[in-house]
Amino acid sequence: MSDPVIQVVHLKKYYSVHEKEPGLAGSIKSLFSRKYHDVKAVDDISFEIGEGELVGFIGPNGAGKTTTLKCLSGLLYPTDGKVEVLGFAPWDRKPEFQKQFALVMGQKNQLWWDLPPMETFILNKEIYEVPEKQYKETLDKLVKLLDVKDILKIQVRKLSLGQRMKCELIAALLHNPKVLFLDEPTIGLDVVMQKVMRDFIKQYNRQFKSTIMLTSHYMGDVKELCRRVIIIDKGEILFDGKLQDVIDRFARNKILTIVFSKDIDQRKLAELGEVRHYQFPEARMTVRRDQAAEKAAELLEKFPVADLVIEEPPIDAIIREVFTGKMKKKTKE
Amino acid sequence: MIFFKKYIQIAKTSWANGFVYRLNFVMWRIRNVIQLLTIYFLWFAVSSNQDKIFSYTQASILTYVLGSSIIRAMVLSSRSIDAQGEIASGDLSNHLVKPINYFIYWASRDMSDKLLNILFAIFEITLLIVVIRPPIQFQTNLALIALFAGSVVLAAILFFIFSFIISMTTFWYYEYNGWAQRYLSFVILEALAGGLFPLDILPPTFAKIAIVLPTAYFIYFPMQIYLGRINPTQIVVGYAVMLFWIVALYYFGQMLWKKGLKVYGAYGR
Repeated sequence: MSDPVIQVVHLKKYYSVHEKEPGLAGSIKSLFSRKYHDVKAVDDISFEIGEGELVGFIGPNGAGKTTTLKCLSGLLYPTDGKVEVLGFAPWDRKPEFQKQFALVMGQKNQLWWDLPPMETFILNKEIYEVPEKQYKETLDKLVKLLDVKDILKIQVRKLSLGQRMKCELIAALLHNPKVLFLDEPTIGLDVVMQKVMRDFIKQYNRQFKSTIMLTSHYMGDVKELCRRVIIIDKGEILFDGKLQDVIDRFARNKILTIVFSKDIDQRKLAELGEVRHYQFPEARMTVRRDQAAEKAAELLEKFPVADLVIEEPPIDAIIREVFTGKMKKKTKE
Repeated sequence: MIFFKKYIQIAKTSWANGFVYRLNFVMWRIRNVIQLLTIYFLWFAVSSNQDKIFSYTQASILTYVLGSSIIRAMVLSSRSIDAQGEIASGDLSNHLVKPINYFIYWASRDMSDKLLNILFAIFEITLLIVVIRPPIQFQTNLALIALFAGSVVLAAILFFIFSFIISMTTFWYYEYNGWAQRYLSFVILEALAGGLFPLDILPPTFAKIAIVLPTAYFIYFPMQIYLGRINPTQIVVGYAVMLFWIVALYYFGQMLWKKGLKVYGAYGR
């Protein structure tokens, strides 16, 4: 890894929130005295990201993903710790820094709602002081990549969510940011549009050598895009490393799908592993990871097998396992 | 130069945005005309059949009313009140990540908005003058006209800062996107800016207090200069008070902004 582009050291962000008892009595009480308590949105996390990396930042709702991205973008003052992006402290909000990064939030738009997207593009060109020639080239390229030529002159409010998201991306990328924070870029999009977005992000990362940090609920996004993932929950990092390592480490089972040529005795099958489903001619069962090969051989030997497939469990299931307490200690690769 | 280019573009885009809702704009102007007519006819009725009313002749009080309507368009018209909504909803984040100054951003949008409003206000008042033919006092003293113009510009700056401070309270009190504070400020403005009546008709004690508050400089002070009702010393003192408020509120606003950003949660995800 070359010099890190993003460096986070012992970052903490606590919010003070007030509690309200339910009901009218609680509302009246909260008029006069309010109980406050600290919420540890991010609690002492550290990581580094190198140039050109595409890192997935995953965790359940309220894990602290968005808070971390907001700290990295200079929107929030951290409670404690050190953050550096491209050598800048983000919350100084220096123009030289801001011209080199972009934040795209799937649920927040920067496009002017009542005007066509083109107006926002032109405005951003001036705001980021993008030279005319570079602007034209970048816009052309992005418009082609995302196939939005026909909608540039239509009022944003009349666009579909997918079209709008594409235009949001263009608006955010016109100044060729070196660092890109994508917060749930595929949220609410249909599968086709999700795929388009993924392909685009992948291509953008490759073409522009930009460093990308991406949060998503959809494991598909992460699986497709990121070699490295940071898993965060309750403000703490649970895992930071290669996606493949998450699978190797936390997937305890493999899934065998078998097609039999003759009906078999299910009880005998159950001796080899946990049968999830059997309906002749197909069965699905899970076996311990380290025994998968051995069990498969046994199956072939003892049963009339027409076909056999060994698979990893779906990544969603593995991640779920990580969160439900199979591992609580931070592991750094 | 490149610095101004982006803010000029912001003004242009804001202008384009203003034109999208033609109905809204027309309604807003109709509201202004009705408001103007109401105040005009009220003062017309009160000042008829008497020589002077509260030391104003009919011509001067009616000029005051019509003039304050134009000044309203120049000073009080504002897009920047939307800043409070952005602070409350977290849309402020969109601006904070960009290399722009949030104040100048809104100042640019305000200027384009004011330009539009001034054009219409002048048109409406010309129309009224032609149709109703009210008695009007024209100021011929060029020095006074220049001082009047200068005070209007300062008033617009002062109001911008004043209004932004109200918006920034939303960092702490974000209920209803900060409209509670904003409505209170509207009522204070109606009473103390001099848009409904000149402040010197208040009982002397109240008038003395009112005249040192920043609000008096939005409409009342410029109109007093135009009508030639205050002497050079009062004009100089008035300018000084105005500049004092501009500087004081500017620094207060800067402080609020810095503190506000520390508590800003960038909500809405």
